[in-house]
Amino acid sequence: MPSADVVVVGAGLSGLTAALAAAESGALVQVLARGNAGTHWGSGGLDVAAPPGARSPRDGLATLAALPGHPYSSLGRDVEPALAWIRAILAAEGLAYQGSLDAPLQAAPTSIGGTRPVAILPTAQAAAARPWAPGERLVVCGIAGFKDFWPDAIAAGLSRPGTWGASPRPESVDAVTVTLPGLAARHNLNAVELARRFDDKAWRSAAIDRIASAVDAAWADPGGDAAGVGATGPGRVALPAVLGLNDHPALFDELRRRLPLEPFELPLVPPSLPGMRLYFALRAALIRMGGRVRIGEGIAHVERDGGRVTAVATEAASRTSTVRAGALIIATGGIAGGGIVADNAGHLYETVLGLPVEAPEVEAWLSRDAFDRKGHPLEAAGIRVDADLRPVDVSGAPLFENVRVVGSMLAGQRSLHERCRDGVAVASGFRAGRALGAAAASALTPSQEPAGSGTAR
Amino acid sequence: MSGAGAVDVLVVGGGATGAGILRDLARRGLRALLVERGDFGTGTTGRYHGLLHSGGRYAMRDSQAARECIVENRVLRRIAPASIEDTGGYFVATPDDPEDYVAAFPAACAAAGIECEEIPVAKALAREPALNPKIRRVFRLPDGSVEPWNLIDANLADARAHGSEARSYQRVVGFEREGDRITAATLRDERSGATTTISTRFVVSAAGAWAGRLAALTGVDLAMRPGKGVMLIYNQRMTDTVINRCHLSADGDIMVPVHTVAILGTTDVRVDDPDVYDITRGEVAALVAEGEKLFPDLGRMRLLRAYAGVRPLYEPPAGVQVSQNRALSRAHTVVDHRLDGVDNFVSIVGGKLTTYRLMAQDTVDSVASKLGVTEKCTTADEILPNQVPGKTYWLGHRLAEHEAEGGGDAPLLCECEFVTRSMLEAFLDEHWPCSIDDIRRGTRLGMGPCQGGFCTFRASGLIAERVARGAGGWGGVGPVVAAADGGAASGAAVASGAAGLRGAAAIEGPDGPIVDYLRERFNGTRPIAAGRQLQELWMVLGIYHGALGVDSLVDAGRGVGAGLAPPGPAEARDAER
Repeated sequence: MPSADVVVVGAGLSGLTAALAAAESGALVQVLARGNAGTHWGSGGLDVAAPPGARSPRDGLATLAALPGHPYSSLGRDVEPALAWIRAILAAEGLAYQGSLDAPLQAAPTSIGGTRPVAILPTAQAAAARPWAPGERLVVCGIAGFKDFWPDAIAAGLSRPGTWGASPRPESVDAVTVTLPGLAARHNLNAVELARRFDDKAWRSAAIDRIASAVDAAWADPGGDAAGVGATGPGRVALPAVLGLNDHPALFDELRRRLPLEPFELPLVPPSLPGMRLYFALRAALIRMGGRVRIGEGIAHVERDGGRVTAVATEAASRTSTVRAGALIIATGGIAGGGIVADNAGHLYETVLGLPVEAPEVEAWLSRDAFDRKGHPLEAAGIRVDADLRPVDVSGAPLFENVRVVGSMLAGQRSLHERCRDGVAVASGFRAGRALGAAAASALTPSQEPAGSGTAR
Repeated sequence: MSGAGAVDVLVVGGGATGAGILRDLARRGLRALLVERGDFGTGTTGRYHGLLHSGGRYAMRDSQAARECIVENRVLRRIAPASIEDTGGYFVATPDDPEDYVAAFPAACAAAGIECEEIPVAKALAREPALNPKIRRVFRLPDGSVEPWNLIDANLADARAHGSEARSYQRVVGFEREGDRITAATLRDERSGATTTISTRFVVSAAGAWAGRLAALTGVDLAMRPGKGVMLIYNQRMTDTVINRCHLSADGDIMVPVHTVAILGTTDVRVDDPDVYDITRGEVAALVAEGEKLFPDLGRMRLLRAYAGVRPLYEPPAGVQVSQNRALSRAHTVVDHRLDGVDNFVSIVGGKLTTYRLMAQDTVDSVASKLGVTEKCTTADEILPNQVPGKTYWLGHRLAEHEAEGGGDAPLLCECEFVTRSMLEAFLDEHWPCSIDDIRRGTRLGMGPCQGGFCTFRASGLIAERVARGAGGWGGVGPVVAAADGGAASGAAVASGAAGLRGAAAIEGPDGPIVDYLRERFNGTRPIAAGRQLQELWMVLGIYHGALGVDSLVDAGRGVGAGLAPPGPAEARDAER
């Protein structure tokens, strides 16, 4: 039977962070996941803490760490070192992030014509976080045939002063749509298909020419009525987040050099290219450290011996396989990730080990208004853990010695309106991975037999 | 306030009944105007089950209703084939159904004139394998399913072709009276707020569950007894046949396949206010538990949403105590308000969608005799316009259309329901200005598993593009009209559904169309949120809060955005329609 010092279930930001931290500490790590995770539908930025009223992530972090039962009440002090560590790993993979815990939260435009508070963003989004100077203008540039980015609607939404709250905003917002080479008759393009085109150096050179001239034209004629021909001044251009997948950093540099205005990407509905870049960078770093990743395998059952997990069995289309596990990290993404499921009667189940789920009464799960400012009480549902991130029973006693729970599985966070999802994921993954990795490295590893050989059914 | 002319008859209420009345009036040579406070078909018609009754559900206890159903069932199959899917219906006797009821059922159907054929259980199970294998007897009756919005459109089109008119988003806010007669009504345009008056010789209330309120505007007391029916939408057709329990109608005993989904119904609970009611998880659980007697695996099937409609039941003034709403007759009544002191005002109450045409005929017979009109009713004989006989809905027809349009390269804006860009543009050409919710009723956009998560911003994007570019001669007319949720505003959750949606008072929602439509979709998910649908909701909320900053749009609406300029003058928009 193959084995690993640490088995991580889930391949989102928290799972991959935990796997990296454990691998870096010297453990043999196996990641198992049913599918892609929250990275693929997130913004690709790192939301640490932006509860209403917070001025910076550090300010928000202090607010949330003071809430009883919030993951940050224990993890808060790990956030800064964990972020610095993961950002160094990402930068080494070519995916640099800008901003800091002390950066003021800024209203950055979104692809439905709204704004969101941001502070730490990948380089390609970073220009969105810089405050708008007086007179500075924004051009929103769409791609003909692409159905997930509608520049006229975005410009209309961003032209409403209320969208920006108290933040500074552009002097004007103009929309332009450009037809890219070879795509004139295509109408069902998705973000990944476009990103792959942009990875192609010859194609993108012609594409950037067209984008540049379209932006030039929009810039010279704000409002499209020829009234302001020749207008000049500072400005930026927002593009859909489709600017390459494998060759993104080089492409973005090229865009910056060749466009008349400073470009930035707006994150979209899934599939999220900024999130996929984050996922691929983390996975590449993990594999470089000797970690293993298998996607497409749901957990069938977990073998245990008293208070210890001993092995994890997975199930794919036609076979099962079992990995002996020195320790287990549950990073299955909460309700959205499928790590916690609800039945019609209102019971919530944790799907890997059947851990007890802390949750409000079923009638109180959801607020009456989808967009209630207080969010939904069910957001706080999750697994209660001790300071070592071990799941606990109602009395606070750990249920398993060698199990850790991380990320969106943790009880007590209200990620929709606290905007703390990525900070919790990174800090909890870092803490759990480091501790288990160090423990594995200091003990004799159970086996060096390679993982991943399946048992035919 | 401005005058808007004079008509012979003002019809209030744009559901199937009102549309049928308008058609009948117009065909008898009367010049009529129909006004509806929201979009057409947003009251009970848009929130009903989707069932074309055979009459079997009434055969044992309300033979008049049963006879009316089967007669009108045949009429509708003839005059409105494009609105009907001929699913057929099974009445099945489960082990829970009383033997004496089952034994007497065929004779009761025969007495009402309903074709009722017993078929072998094995044959029924072969056609509908999801059915409970323990059923003891099966009767086949001519039930079907009806597309209500299409039916309304066809009635209105025929009425217009005969010189009458229908206007949506026009709320009646008052009447002028001279002695025992109404002389005019005051209408408020729910989009612009402008008011107009219309002179009329006669007023017909087809306001259904809201008829009591409308009557009160004339000073007349009309005791409606609205009955809330909760329905659950499954994301699959686990049956292609309408399935009824063979017992005295009760909660959770009927499943109707409608387009891509199947709808389990229903409950019957009296509500005081037809605009304000809640759907509880307890009601949902009770319905599912009953439904499992028909389909044992129901508890494991994915629920999309819950919604409720309000039956326009009428409480007769005789002082008869009625303990259960379900016992009130499903037949209809034309209430002549002459006895209440208003000589030229009638209300049509009770009834059901299957008999909408007969309800209209009875109403217009009454109006015609009072106005001295002798033309006879022709609505049962003349086929409605825009009917393509035989082309009822079948799974896969949109896929075929999509392939014909270019397949993989045809722009698909709603993947769940296969709504293409060209379908949306055709709808907008005809119906602008409208809300995304209006688009949903016309195209099924947003009715699938993601409940608007991916198509809402695309629809709003396409609208913005057309407005910005002045496409189709819109010339930048007004903003998208967003469905306002009066229920939410008054503190009650109002769920809505695939066949049903809130009666939208059409004012521009300050939060904009994306927020308003997702909010409305959420209202239907909330009572059923569990399993995959809760996971889907959580992902959609995560996307909209995380990457898309939806809360900034809500803030914008509550702050500066609330002062947005209203849409252009009412006359300009009417000309666009």
